[in-house]
Amino acid sequence: MQRYLIMCRSLTYAQRAASALERAGVTAAVSRAPQQLTANGCGYCLRVNENRFHAALGVLERGGIPHGRLYRAEADGRYVEVAR
Amino acid sequence: MIYLDSAATTLQKPRAVAEAMSTATGTMASPGRGGHRPARLAAETAWACREAIARLFNFDRPENVAFTMNATHALNIALGSLVTPGGRVVVSGWEHNAVVRALHALGAELDVVPGALFDSDAALEGFRERLRGAECCVCTHVSNVFGFVLPVYEIAALCREYGVPFVLDASQSAGALPLDAAGLGADFIAMPGHKGLLGPQGTGVLLCSAPVRPLLFGGTGSESRSRAMPAFLPDRLEAGTHNIPGIAGLLAGVNYVNRLGPANIARRERALMRALALELKKLPGLEVFLSDGEEAQAGVLSVRHERAGSEELGEALGRLGVCVRAGLHCAPLAHESAGTIETGTVRLSLSPFNSPAELRRVPGLMRRAISGALAGA
Repeated sequence: MQRYLIMCRSLTYAQRAASALERAGVTAAVSRAPQQLTANGCGYCLRVNENRFHAALGVLERGGIPHGRLYRAEADGRYVEVAR
Repeated sequence: MIYLDSAATTLQKPRAVAEAMSTATGTMASPGRGGHRPARLAAETAWACREAIARLFNFDRPENVAFTMNATHALNIALGSLVTPGGRVVVSGWEHNAVVRALHALGAELDVVPGALFDSDAALEGFRERLRGAECCVCTHVSNVFGFVLPVYEIAALCREYGVPFVLDASQSAGALPLDAAGLGADFIAMPGHKGLLGPQGTGVLLCSAPVRPLLFGGTGSESRSRAMPAFLPDRLEAGTHNIPGIAGLLAGVNYVNRLGPANIARRERALMRALALELKKLPGLEVFLSDGEEAQAGVLSVRHERAGSEELGEALGRLGVCVRAGLHCAPLAHESAGTIETGTVRLSLSPFNSPAELRRVPGLMRRAISGALAGA
């Protein structure tokens, strides 16, 4: 199953987002963002399974929880930016 | 020992506080400094603490719960964010030096609201008369000397009416009285972790609802390529390594307070304090500063003797195993307001861990302490 990355501007925002997702029954792991995706250094992201990706975005939108760019993790190690 | 100095620091804590600190010391590293398990555990603890604090104070933005070293640190951030040199700042007559000295250092003009002890109406009227055109307003929720509960919800509403930013010093109320941040609508609420929240020394909290200016600059584990501090909270205020053992202990303390409920804590402390005060009033020569109405005073009580000095009385009580604080309590403004600046007072302050049985012993010990202080023993 493919994994999606939801970029967050800080660890705390990632935690806030993960907490909201958990309450909504969506599992998301907080982790440091891949180096190539953090133009300003030291970023954080949520990793979500493909089948919960859109549900996760919906929860964050309804909760007014900001997030950054969205990426799909490819099997070859690349990250492809995706639209909402 | 009878510990009655909880307005300075609560000494007795839930057992879980020390356990959490010990566990954190052995298992947790630094939030945001790595993806490994010790860093993750630290991050989870910090976030859990922010959420628990937000829940306790009905504050809807846990990410705006910033950790500080103590309430003084939190107040310095808040005031440094709002006050400019020469700006007029309206303060109650019951403020601690954490407010007064910080404002002095910022070059602010202090506009002190006069009013008698335990007179909420006079305090409110004084704020109403002074707020127009002020740069900022600062008010303590509870006087650290007399336990006077200021009408802060009404003062905050006046600030909104006049467009004046409002800072609440919740040093004596956090955890000891209900405090509804959403209902209050303050720009900043500052509090220590080591008093009513039952956490360890070296912890404090600032609830931020307005733009902030950092006091410290450094690494945050975020936006590392930028030379400027991040614009977002809590990173903007949390440069350097966190006090994770302290935050873990604070979380345990806040969880305990959340379970007991601040309203229940306040009810119990007030009842114990008033029963104690009524007994102390029977002692000859002892002046007891007790409000007429129960709501105007929290679990903090000041007394002074007509002949025995406050410091001497405090020392004598200490020798008898009663821990109190004597003198000016870092709040000379409050003593000027109450007319006790020359004598100071002896302060007895409660926590959820004081028992009725130990408090029943205090009047007798106070009588002995007075005799001892008068005899110079």
